[in-house]
Amino acid sequence: METYAMRRSGIVNALLNTFFILLSLVIIAPFILIVAVSLTDERALTTYGYSFIPTQFSSLAYEYLLQTPMVILRAYGNTAFITVVGTLLSILLTSIIGYTISRRDYSFRSWVTIYVFIPMMFSGGLVPFYILMTQYLHLKNSLWAIILPGLLSPFYVLIMKGFMGKIPFEIIESAKMDGAGEWRIFFRIILPLSTPALATLGLFIAFNYWNEWFNALLFIDEDRRVPLQLLLVRIMNTLDFLRNNSEYIQGLGLDMSQFPNESVRMALVVMVAGPMMFVFPFFQKYFVQGMTVGSLKG
Amino acid sequence: MKKMQRVLLVWLGCLVFLAACSSGNNNPGGTNTNPAAPGNNGEEPVSAETDGELPHVELIWYYGVSQVSPDQQKIEDEVNRIVEEKLNATVKLRPIDFGSYTTKLNTASAAGEKFDLVWTANWAFNYDENVKKGAFIPLDELLEQHAPQTLQAIPSFTWDATKYQGEIYAVPNYQTITSRYGASIRKDLADKYGFDASTVETLEDLEPFLASVKENDPGITPLMLTGPGTKFEPFMYGFDDNGVRIGDDTFQTQILEETPEYKSFVELMHSWFEKGYINDDASTVKQIDAIYNGKYASGLESAMKPGYEAEKKASNGGYDVIGIPFTEATTRRTSNITTLTAVSRTSANPERAVMLIELVNNDPELYNLLSFGIEGTHYEKLDDNTVRIDPNASYRAQNWVFGNVFNGYLVEGQAADTWEATKALNESAFVQPTFGFSFDDTAVKAEYANVMAVKAEYEPLLMTGTVDPATYLPEYLTKLRNAGADKVREELQRQLDAWVAENVKS
Repeated sequence: METYAMRRSGIVNALLNTFFILLSLVIIAPFILIVAVSLTDERALTTYGYSFIPTQFSSLAYEYLLQTPMVILRAYGNTAFITVVGTLLSILLTSIIGYTISRRDYSFRSWVTIYVFIPMMFSGGLVPFYILMTQYLHLKNSLWAIILPGLLSPFYVLIMKGFMGKIPFEIIESAKMDGAGEWRIFFRIILPLSTPALATLGLFIAFNYWNEWFNALLFIDEDRRVPLQLLLVRIMNTLDFLRNNSEYIQGLGLDMSQFPNESVRMALVVMVAGPMMFVFPFFQKYFVQGMTVGSLKG
Repeated sequence: MKKMQRVLLVWLGCLVFLAACSSGNNNPGGTNTNPAAPGNNGEEPVSAETDGELPHVELIWYYGVSQVSPDQQKIEDEVNRIVEEKLNATVKLRPIDFGSYTTKLNTASAAGEKFDLVWTANWAFNYDENVKKGAFIPLDELLEQHAPQTLQAIPSFTWDATKYQGEIYAVPNYQTITSRYGASIRKDLADKYGFDASTVETLEDLEPFLASVKENDPGITPLMLTGPGTKFEPFMYGFDDNGVRIGDDTFQTQILEETPEYKSFVELMHSWFEKGYINDDASTVKQIDAIYNGKYASGLESAMKPGYEAEKKASNGGYDVIGIPFTEATTRRTSNITTLTAVSRTSANPERAVMLIELVNNDPELYNLLSFGIEGTHYEKLDDNTVRIDPNASYRAQNWVFGNVFNGYLVEGQAADTWEATKALNESAFVQPTFGFSFDDTAVKAEYANVMAVKAEYEPLLMTGTVDPATYLPEYLTKLRNAGADKVREELQRQLDAWVAENVKS
C-alpha cells in the first residue's frame, strides 16, 4: 500500500487531495452554516439572510434553550438511555443470533436464517404494530417502546453471520477440545475476534437509536419521556405543517411568533447532532476495518 | 443438544426479563389504556340527572397545540380540580403538536385505542374522512340531554355543517365562521399617494395604488401573493363553493375554471404580474413570513374578520393597514369546521365526555385556564376581559381548540368589542345556498384525486399571474377534462339534486 502511494506522481496526488478536500467541504459547510446561524442575532438574520460568519453575534438562542434546562436535559437523558441500553442489548442479541446461524454444526441453521430473513421483506404494517405495542405489550409512554422495535435488524444479523462465518471452525473445535463450554467460546473467543464487526454494527445501531423519532412520535405522549430527536421533529414538522395549511388557519389567528425563531431552531439542531460527532472518532479505528465486513474480501 | 437447550432457556429468560422491565416501566405512567370500571354504561342515563351521584370516571382528551408546554402537568392538575368537583371525573390532557397530530391520531384511531374526546378539523386529523371511517359517534341525542347550553349558543347552520347523513358527529369550537374576501393595504402608503380606500369596490380598483407603489417605492412589492394562499373566490363573482350561481333555483353546478369570470380573474392577475406588481416568486412562496416583513404594500385576504387589522399589523412590520372587503361576509361549510371536538367511538363514557364539552364551553374559568394558563404565572390581566400573554410563558395553547372562544379572554391588542362584533357578523353572515351540503367523493375517487392533482399543479401558477393564461388556461382546462372533471361535476350535481330535494323548501 505505502509503496504504491509513494510511486504516485505529484499531480495525481494533488488532484486526489483537492477532490477529497472539496468533498469534505461540501459535507462540513452546511453544518458550519447551521452553527453560524444559531449564533446570529435574529434580526440580522431577517435583514441579511444566512451567512457563514455571524453578521451580528448573539448567543441568545442557546440562552433561550437553556432557560428551561430541564426540558433539554431530560431529553438528553432519555436519548442517552435509549442509545446506550438499546445498543448494548441490540449488539448482544445480534451477535448471539448471528453466531448461532453461522455455526456449521447447527442443524436448524438454514431454517433459522430464513426465519430471520422473512421480516426483512415483509412487515405487519403500522396499525397492527401499534395495536401490539399499546394493547398487548402496554408500552405506551415507555422508553422500551423505542428500544424494543430496534433491537434486532435482520440485515445486521446477516452481516454478523457473514463475518462470524469466516472465523475458522477449527478455532471453535480446538477450544472445545481444551474444555471450553459454548458460553466461554462465544464470549472469550468469538466476540474478541469480531471486534471490527461489533464496532461497525454498534455504531450503526447507536446512530439509529440516537436518530430514532418515529416510534417516539407514535408512543410517547408524556413530556418527560420525550427523546431529543422528537423534540426537534415536533418543532420542525409543526412549522411545515402550519405553513402548508395556511389557507385554513388564516381565519383562526394562530400566532406564529409562538414558535422558536430561526436561530433557536438551528441551535437545537446543533445540540441534537453535536454529541454524535464526538462519538464517531472513537469508533473510527475499527470502522475502516469494519467497512469490509460481510464482503467477500478475506 | 443439551447445551443448545440451555441456550434456548437463557434466551427465553431474556425475553421474560425484558417484558417484565417494560411493564414495570409503564405502570407509573398511568393505567390509561384500561377502560373505566365496567358497569358504568348501564347506570349512566339513570344517574345523569344529578351530578353528585355520578360514578368517578377518567376521560382522555387529545388535542393539537403548536408546542407542548413544560407546565402542562400543572394545568392538568388545576383543570382536574374544577372537573373533579363539577363532574366527578379526571381528565387526562393529551396535547399533541399539530405536525404529528394527523399521523398520531389516525394510527391511534385505526388501532382502536381508547380515548374520549378528540379535536378534529378539516385541516388536521380530517373530520369528514374520520366520520366516514366511523371514528366518532353521533351526538344528537347526547347533546340534547347533556349539553343544552352549547347546543343553543351555536347557530343552527354551524351545526348543519357538522352533519353527515343528517347526524352531528362533532361539536364546533365556535369562533369566527365567516369569510370575507378582500385586500389589505398599508395605510402610510395609501396616505402618501392620496389613495382613497373607500372608493375601492372591486379588485380592479386597486390598480392605481399598485401602480403608484411600483413607480415610487422600488424596494416594496406592490402586491404580495403566495401560491397556496391565492384562490379564485367564487363568492366575489356570484358563485357559491359548489359552482352554483347564487340565486339559481335549479342549483346547476358549473366547473368554475370554465366560467368567463375565472378567465377574467387570471387575466387580471397576469397583467399585474407582467407590470411587476406581484412578487416574482409568488407561485412558490408558501407563507408570508419574517423575510417579507414590512416589504410589501398590499395583500389579498380570504378571511377578514373583526380585529383583523390589528393582527395584520403585527405580521407586516408594525405598519397600520386598511382592510378593504370586496364581498359581504359569507359563511361556508369549510369555515365552520376548522376546529371541532368529537367523541371517539372507543369512548367508554360518551355521556361524560359530552358533559365535559358542555362544561368547557360554558365555564369561563375552566376555558380560560386551558387556553391561557394560570393568572400571574402565564398571563397578566390588563382589565377584566383582556390579558397579556408572556411570550416566554411556560404554558401556551390555542384557545380555539378547546371550545367557544367567546367565553374566553381577549388578547392584548384586540378591541374590547371584538367578540360582540364577531358574533354579530357570524349571525348576519350570508349563508350560501348549498350550505350544509358536503360532497362525497367515494363514487368518483380516482377522478376526484386526478382533478385535485391537476389543480394543485396549475392553480398556483395561474392564480398568481405567473404564467400567461392565453396559453396555460386552455391547457389547464384540457387537462382538467382529461382528469375527469366532467364526471366529478355530474356526480356532484347528482348528489346536490338529492340534497336539494331533501333540504330546500320551495
